[in-house]
Amino acid sequence: MAWWQILLLTLYAGYEILDELQIYSSLNTPVGAGLIAGLIMGDLKTGLIIGGAMQLTVLGVGTFGGASKIDATTGTVLATAFSVSIKGMSPQVAISSIAVPVAAIMVQLDVLARFANTYFAHRIDHLIEENNYKGIERNFLYGAIPWALSRAIPVFIALAFGRGLVQTIANSLNGNLKWLGTGLTVAGAVLPAVGFAILLRYLPVKKHIAYLIMGFTFTTLFSVLFTSIQTLGTGLQAANKSFTATFNGLPMLAMALIGLAFAILHYKDEISGKGGSGKGGTKEATTTTESTNVASEGEITDDEL
Amino acid sequence: MMNSKPTYKLTDKDFNQINRRSLFGFQLGWNYERMQNTGYLFLILPQLRKIYGDNTPELQEMMKTHVQFFNTSNFFNTIITGIDLAIEENEGVEGKDTVTGLKVGLMGPFAAIGDSIFAALIPTIFGALAASMASQGNPVGVFIWIAAQIAICFFRWKQLRFAYDKGVTLVTDMRDRLNALTDAATVLGVFMVGALVATMVNVKFAWVPQIGKVTMDIQNNLDMIIPKLLPALIVGFVYWLLGKKKMTSTKAILIVLVLSVILGGVGVLAKI
Repeated sequence: MAWWQILLLTLYAGYEILDELQIYSSLNTPVGAGLIAGLIMGDLKTGLIIGGAMQLTVLGVGTFGGASKIDATTGTVLATAFSVSIKGMSPQVAISSIAVPVAAIMVQLDVLARFANTYFAHRIDHLIEENNYKGIERNFLYGAIPWALSRAIPVFIALAFGRGLVQTIANSLNGNLKWLGTGLTVAGAVLPAVGFAILLRYLPVKKHIAYLIMGFTFTTLFSVLFTSIQTLGTGLQAANKSFTATFNGLPMLAMALIGLAFAILHYKDEISGKGGSGKGGTKEATTTTESTNVASEGEITDDEL
Repeated sequence: MMNSKPTYKLTDKDFNQINRRSLFGFQLGWNYERMQNTGYLFLILPQLRKIYGDNTPELQEMMKTHVQFFNTSNFFNTIITGIDLAIEENEGVEGKDTVTGLKVGLMGPFAAIGDSIFAALIPTIFGALAASMASQGNPVGVFIWIAAQIAICFFRWKQLRFAYDKGVTLVTDMRDRLNALTDAATVLGVFMVGALVATMVNVKFAWVPQIGKVTMDIQNNLDMIIPKLLPALIVGFVYWLLGKKKMTSTKAILIVLVLSVILGGVGVLAKI
C-alpha cells in the first residue's frame, strides 16, 4: 500500500461520517465506501463485492436497537484495503475476518465522539450568556473534529501498522487454519441474512406478508431460470464455437420494478379509499385537492421510488 | 415589552443560509446530553439576530430556548424550523411557549416518519439495488442511489420555505399523504426483502451423509421442495433470534458470524 493510498483512505474515513450526518450522499454507505476504497486501491471489483455484502448485512440496522449502530462503512474501507493489498485475503474472508469485527469495535468510537461533543455543547451554553455569536458558531462547527477523528485515526493506525498482522492472519488462514478460512468465507455469504431479518423485524411483515412471499417466490423462480440458462449457454459455447449468444444473470432492477408496481397499486388504493370511505365527507375531499397542489412531500417520495 | 414585536421579515437569502447550514452542518454538534440542540440554534442564529437584534435580552432568552433538548429526523428538521420562524417573526419573544410546544410536539412524529423513510425504506430499496449490482462488480447501482439522494436533497431544500408559508396546517395536510406513501413504500420494501433473500444469501448444504449405501444429497432434496429454502430458513432463524430479550443488531451479527464459521469450517454449509 502506497502512502498516498493510506492518506486518501484516511481522509475518506474522516469525510464519510460527516457526509452521513449531513447531506447523506450515499457515498457514506458501505457500498459507497466499497466504490471509493476500491477506486483508491485500484481494484473496483473487490471494493464493490465487500461493500455490497456489508450493505446487505446492515440493511435495517439504523432502525434496530437505537444508539449502537455498527459502523460497516469503516469496516468496508479496511477490509477492501487489506483484501487488495494482501496476498491470500479473498473478499469473502476479508468481510467476515476484518469488516465485521472492525465495524463492531467502531461502535465504541462512535460513542466517544458523541460524548466529546457534549463538551462543545456546554461551551455554547456559556457563550450564549456572553452574547458571543461568532463563538457559538465556531464551537458548533468544532463538533466536526471529534466526529471525523473518530473514524480517521483508527483507519490510519490500522492501515499504517496493521499490515503485518493481517498478513500473518491471511497466511495462517490459508495454511494450518484452512478450516477457519473456509468457515469465514461461508460466514461472509451468510451475513446478509442478518440485514434482511433486521429489516423484517422493522417492517410491518404481518400486514404485508403476501408481498414478502411474492418477492421471494418470483425471484427464486426467475433466478433459477436465469442461472440455468446461463449454465446451458456456457455449456453450449464450450461444445460449439459457432454458438455466440450471451446470457446475463437476473437483473435486480426488474424485480424492483415489479415491487414498485405493487407499491403504486397499494398507494392508489389507499388514497382513493380515503375519499370514498365517507369518514371525512366533503372536508376530507377538499383537503385532498388542496394538498395535491402543494404537497411537495408527496412528490418527493414519488421520485424516490 | 411594548416594542417586542419584531419588524424584520425573512428574505430568500435567509432561507438559503438556513438550508446551507442544515444540509452541511445540522448534526455536527450531536451530543448525548441534548442531541441536536446546538444544531437547531446554529441553523437559525443569524436570523434570530436579525429578528431580535444583537445583545438584546430577547435574543438571549430565545437562544437559551433553542439549546434545549432537540432530536428529530435530519431530513425533516427544517419543516419544524420553518414553522418556528414564521411564529417568531410575527410574535417575537411572546411566541416562546408556542415555539417550545411546537418543537417538542413535532420532533417525535417527524423522527418516526423520517426514520421509517430514510433509515429503513430508502436504504432497503436503493441499498439493495446498489449492493446486488455491486456484488457482480457493477458500480451503476451506487450512482442510481446517489442520484436519488440528490433528488432528496432538493426537496430538503424546498421544504423550509414551504413550511414557513404554510405553517402548522402543513403538518395535518401532509399526514395522510405521508402515511399512504410510507405504507406503499413498505410494500416495496417487504417485496424487495423477499427478492433479496432469494438471491443474496449464497450458501448451500455441503454435507452429504451416507446412510448405508445410499448417499443423501440434502441440498438437492431441498431444491425439489423449493429452491433457496436454506436462505429463507436462515433469515427466519435470525428473525427469531432478534426477538430474544436484550438482543442487539451488533450481537446478532456476531452470533451469526460465529455460527457460520463453525458450520462452514466443519463442512455442513458451503458458499455457492
